[in-house]
Amino acid sequence: MKTRSKATTSVGKAKRLASAAATLAAVAGTLAVVPGTASASGNVVTIVYATQGLGAEEAATNTAIAGFEKANPGIRVKYLLLSSNTTDALQQLTQDFISGSSTPDVIESDIIYPAQFAKAGWLLPLTKFHPNMNAFFRSIVNTVTYKGQYYGMPWFINAQGLFYRTDLVPTPPKTPQQVVADAQAAMKKDPALKEGLAFEGAKYEGAICVYQDFLGGFGGSLNAANLNTPANVAALQFMHDTIYKYKIAPASVTSWTEANVQDAFDSGQAAFGINWPYLFPLVNAKGSPIAGKVAWIPFPSATGHPAASLGGDDLVINKASQHQAEDWKFIQYLERPQVQAARMITAGDAPAVRAAYTPSLSKAVPYLAQAEKVFAVTSPRPVSPNYPQISLDLQTMLSSVLTNQVSAQKALAQTAPVVQKLFASGNS
Amino acid sequence: MRTGPNAAADEQSAGGASVAGVGRVAQAEPSVGGRGPLSHRRSASDRRVGLLLLAPAVLALAAVTLFPLAYNLWNSFHVDQLANPSAGNGFSGLQNYRALFNEPGFSADLAHTLFFTAVSVGIEMCLGLAIAVVISKPFKGRGLVRAAILVPWAVPTVVSAMLWKTMVDPQSGFVNYLLGVLHLPGAGIAWSAQTWTSWAVVIVADAWKTTPLVAVILLAGLQTIPGDVYEAAQVDGAGAWRRFRSVTLPLLKPALLVALIFRTLAAFLVFDVVYILTGGGPGSSTETLGYLDWKAFLVNTDFGYGGAVSVSLVVMALVIAFGYTRLVRPSTN
Repeated sequence: MKTRSKATTSVGKAKRLASAAATLAAVAGTLAVVPGTASASGNVVTIVYATQGLGAEEAATNTAIAGFEKANPGIRVKYLLLSSNTTDALQQLTQDFISGSSTPDVIESDIIYPAQFAKAGWLLPLTKFHPNMNAFFRSIVNTVTYKGQYYGMPWFINAQGLFYRTDLVPTPPKTPQQVVADAQAAMKKDPALKEGLAFEGAKYEGAICVYQDFLGGFGGSLNAANLNTPANVAALQFMHDTIYKYKIAPASVTSWTEANVQDAFDSGQAAFGINWPYLFPLVNAKGSPIAGKVAWIPFPSATGHPAASLGGDDLVINKASQHQAEDWKFIQYLERPQVQAARMITAGDAPAVRAAYTPSLSKAVPYLAQAEKVFAVTSPRPVSPNYPQISLDLQTMLSSVLTNQVSAQKALAQTAPVVQKLFASGNS
Repeated sequence: MRTGPNAAADEQSAGGASVAGVGRVAQAEPSVGGRGPLSHRRSASDRRVGLLLLAPAVLALAAVTLFPLAYNLWNSFHVDQLANPSAGNGFSGLQNYRALFNEPGFSADLAHTLFFTAVSVGIEMCLGLAIAVVISKPFKGRGLVRAAILVPWAVPTVVSAMLWKTMVDPQSGFVNYLLGVLHLPGAGIAWSAQTWTSWAVVIVADAWKTTPLVAVILLAGLQTIPGDVYEAAQVDGAGAWRRFRSVTLPLLKPALLVALIFRTLAAFLVFDVVYILTGGGPGSSTETLGYLDWKAFLVNTDFGYGGAVSVSLVVMALVIAFGYTRLVRPSTN
């Protein structure tokens, strides 16, 4: 018995060894074609493109790559998927940059990071290619500018605004106080509503975007050099009060991210929801309980100057890339108005190139007219190489106010000097 | 979750410290056994072969533990800000350490870490001991139970933390659903909205994963206790509780200490559970020293300051390990 079992295991072992060897060979095979190590096989150059996005976004990326490769037979683009969580993606990229790797060559970067990468010396300044920055929305060009140089190209623009149910809120609110009144009235009218206002209040980047929207409502701004202003305190107090005083948002929003807001709004349990335009195709999809009953506006402002948190992504080139001319060619292809429009239609990523907004695109994307009004008032988060640190401090501040640990006034008074110092040292 | 080469190195070096502590405990025994003369008779060539055989292990340890530790130590006395290359790489003396002790969150993070360590290790030791006692008794299906108990330990921490995060989700989580179905209070609770509920989730998730390790170590310890000791105690009229207190516990002390050292050091360096479940929130009320270290390395990309944080963590871990070895010494003498 014992010997037999031993014999079978040794056969099993041999098999396993063989399969391990096969795996190793396969891995070695893949490694051999990893670009950058063998930069050119024949006349074909391969560049690695690091990007985020799954599902529809991935499909759009694949279509774009196929189109580019067809137009440029000498260049192959290899697609490297980054984490969909922007902070995790940052860590992946940072480790590549630290190691001095020549790949990825072209990188999709959240708009909040190019300044940091540029200061660290990891990005190729694009001035030598003479990019035409007038082609883009102004606010997003700021995000690729560091010390007067351009370190990337805006790719797509995103904005956070206020979704509302047209069946519960007949006229769009004009002030934050009206949002409160409308939400309270809607909750009274429709007992099925669980939330008047749904927003992302977890301790993460998204909460900063919501705060930015509220800031516009009170005439404040996320100016890192001068954060502790009466308007900013009022906006922070309002954010807190939606939960504890007006009771239009549940305490659980302090652990909510976009996905939770989406769930709440899509299922018809919220009158208002703060989110990005990706929600449009979802709420109007077949079977949605609120199809055709949704509109989107910038968060209303009592001072007449609403602000929408600017999101979106830029395209940057790794300074250590061995194929900078090819990288630039690829970026130019992705910036073509028709390529940008195609991505908008399949994946909902709104073009950063203004020329892409054509009547035919508006026809294909019915909500574009509403979206353009929100894009028009976008305002970027502080552009600073120290933004990751600034962000963490802001996240902690928002989380402690939203969970009722500190008053809005005290929290801003504590955080403002720290942020100011980080901002100043980043630009020195 | 490994947060980078340095964090991994810290964990290893801390592990190394604990192994040294255990080694000392084990060393004490052979000297009592009187095997000394044998080693004197060993020839010089035997010794050379022995050293040669040891060399690969020593080299490997040096590469993965000693080098990163030394590198970190060096870094902690220098400027090394990746995101700010213009700051240079000059010698900075104790500046990084001063910055750490002046960091407004440092004392709070230290307090959080000590709190987490004490509570989670306490719970894990008690539960682990109870489980070990139960599965050391013969019963039907014992092998299966013993194997099943190890499953949580085999799950990577990041995965188990994500699992718990989904379980306590206020909208779709199983925990709130269960509380609602059973008409218990707390069905509408947002676990990460309050300090104490956040800690509760972190500690439960940690205990769920690591109690099995404690149980297995203690089970091994229980099996070294000979049965006749219990028989003798029973003959002397000791009841079950008395036998547990006066026989099991004292004889289990070495195993208890090993489990305690392993768990304390790991809990002291905690990062992954906290990072995933609370992100240090609400506010900064669940930030630990491990989280501070992550922030220094991966958010600030300041390897000088990060080095100072890790070196301080290693020193504190060493102090703890040393404290435990002191605890065990009197009983071996």
